[in-house]
Amino acid sequence: MIKIGKWKIDKTALAFISPALLLYVLFIIVPTVSSVYYSFTSWDGISPEVKFVGLANYREIFTSARFGNALKNTLILTVFISVLENAFALGLAVLVDKVRWWKNVFRSAFYIPVLISGIVSGFIWKIMYNYNFGAINSILTDIGLGQFKQDWLGNTSLTLIMIGIVLVWKGAGYYMIIYLASLQSVSTDVIEAAEIDGASPWQKFRNITIPLISGAFTINFTLSLINGLKVFDQINVMTDGGPGFTSETLVYLLYKVGFNEGRQGFGTAVGIMLLFIIIILNTIQQKFLRSREVQL
Amino acid sequence: MRKKLGLLSVTLAAAMAVSLTGCGDQSVTESEASSAATTQAASAETSGEGETAGSEGDADSVVTEQTNLTFIFADGDEGAKKSMNEIVNRFNETHDMITVTIEPGNGGNYSELLKTKDSVGEFPDIMEMRDTAMYVRAGKLAPLSDEIVSLFKAPMEFNGEVYTAALAGENTNGIIYNKAYFDENGLTEPATYEEFIALCQAIKDKGDMAPLVVGGQDLWHMGFWFNKAYDDQVMSVDPDFIEHCYDGSKDFSDPAIKATFEEMQEIMEYAQEGWVSTPDAQITTFLVNDMAAMMFSGTHMFGQILQADPEFELGWFPVPSPDGKTRLVGGSGVGGLAISAEAAQDPNKKAAAEEFIKFFFAPENYKIHCENMNAIPSTVETPDMDILPVLQEVIDATNTADSLTPMWNGKSGNNELPPDFRNFTYKTLIEVLQGTRDIDSACEEMNKTWQVAAESFNPVTGVGVN
Repeated sequence: MIKIGKWKIDKTALAFISPALLLYVLFIIVPTVSSVYYSFTSWDGISPEVKFVGLANYREIFTSARFGNALKNTLILTVFISVLENAFALGLAVLVDKVRWWKNVFRSAFYIPVLISGIVSGFIWKIMYNYNFGAINSILTDIGLGQFKQDWLGNTSLTLIMIGIVLVWKGAGYYMIIYLASLQSVSTDVIEAAEIDGASPWQKFRNITIPLISGAFTINFTLSLINGLKVFDQINVMTDGGPGFTSETLVYLLYKVGFNEGRQGFGTAVGIMLLFIIIILNTIQQKFLRSREVQL
Repeated sequence: MRKKLGLLSVTLAAAMAVSLTGCGDQSVTESEASSAATTQAASAETSGEGETAGSEGDADSVVTEQTNLTFIFADGDEGAKKSMNEIVNRFNETHDMITVTIEPGNGGNYSELLKTKDSVGEFPDIMEMRDTAMYVRAGKLAPLSDEIVSLFKAPMEFNGEVYTAALAGENTNGIIYNKAYFDENGLTEPATYEEFIALCQAIKDKGDMAPLVVGGQDLWHMGFWFNKAYDDQVMSVDPDFIEHCYDGSKDFSDPAIKATFEEMQEIMEYAQEGWVSTPDAQITTFLVNDMAAMMFSGTHMFGQILQADPEFELGWFPVPSPDGKTRLVGGSGVGGLAISAEAAQDPNKKAAAEEFIKFFFAPENYKIHCENMNAIPSTVETPDMDILPVLQEVIDATNTADSLTPMWNGKSGNNELPPDFRNFTYKTLIEVLQGTRDIDSACEEMNKTWQVAAESFNPVTGVGVN
């Protein structure tokens, strides 16, 4: 045992933790702390000279229409995918839980999109969405619905939705597994008791299953919120933040200004703002969802 | 326990978000890959005649020991890869004391690769440089010797020194068209801007294909068109407009800027459906498959089109300005081969790097690059090239153009743009073209962004430059 003040640390435990802790400090804590410093500079990312500019980057954030637009896009996309991903995932989980045959085939099929990388899934859907050569418009034309052809990624009122659909398609399988595990842990005794009391399937699901799997809701909504706020790959591949600024999210803005436009200082300030946004939203969400959890 | 779990999840979420900024992201996209590939070619100008510097061996006397040089270029384009490899192989075979090793250029995301290489202490000895001004200010590049500078017709200077050996002149943009289609339909090359618009309208009315194919998904492709309209409307009345914006005597509410947007609106009426989401890499497909009659791009496209359809009949013409003049992109740009300042501190490396650059631009070697890239030579002595007749047309046009200047975002000195202003402008342009923003509002946004950018970068006052 090593004694530091009131703390007693087990030497063996410390030895096991040290490698992972060292990497965590090196690749997470140090960049995080240094980001705070760089957010107060006008560093361009390569120059040895790092000029301190005080709160200038933050002032720009609060007056910049581009940041406001990115924040709006981020929130729209996050709400869209948090709601739909969880709705689809729960539906799929219930389906897979109830189905009698080919249970494993269905589970695998729904989970496959999760295994495809964000970049690859972005490319696949980008090709399908293509106005002139894409599968979606070709099918619409072939079945006589050519009038519904759209420039799916070029139409500013559709772009975010189209990206959101890809994210839901890719992410729902992952959340399905968590819901499924939770569904299978619901005690059959309670369900049977409700059946004896004459509860309909919907009543059982609404009043017994949902409250008992609320822990899974908390986990899944937290994860989808964080993933929604951090979406990068698909936007990078499918739209590059466009058309114009239509699909530029906070993370993408951070990347564009920091790495493409030589404004690392401003980019890190955007990152710090994103940190606070995540903290606030996550805290609110945790408070709301935790209060609804039921444990037997 | 729950509180602790909640706190832990919030902390983890926060750390994940912020670490993004600290660690960065090296994702590479197809559009960026093709962007790099094209801008690789985008460096072109007119040629001339004169003396050739020694192509090999001169500096070996200075290279006193076996010297290895690392070399990186944007290898997203097959033509560039092929020519660079061939020239480097030739060099290595003829220079016992020097070995040049090509390191992977990361396909498309080249500028990020260079930044990463620099940050991890692996900055190459010789490199294809694009963000020249930024690296010169950071003290990362060595000035080229007078002997090398004398090889070029119009070397670009920074504070009296030349840091890059232009791989080619600026890429001259023009309309590349389907000649067979024009001949079949009795269409002719327009001599005025009005005739160009009438030509587009005639093709549109015919209805069998789009008059123009535009790769609007790639911002830099939109830059070709924007630069044309900017030259027509802004450069025609004030070649130093950007400098005047820096000194405050002008801003982006200027009628010339509004006219630029209006010209773009007029031209883009003739773009194919879905142009906003069409990548530049796809525009060749439109042209060779009779889906569009014309594209506006650089000479690097000739090779790509003929590769896609060797039988395709290429035609080319410059789009005249509304005032009747012909303004083309040309002259030496700021990009090219450069030597790192660190390598230049080692006399052996410096001599070896200079020898390599001289060897590269010797006519018999440089010819390989120009032919592969359909590039217009930047050297005083023009290589004897086996070029396409259509490329000769471009060269002839650059010789007779009323004005030959680099792209609006490729200028140096007091007309150099702030780092992020180009992309902002192109994105705003797309908003205007899609009707999600009007021209007055676009000009207002440009003014706001300019003011912020000019606070940290202003060559007129010296802020962010010295």
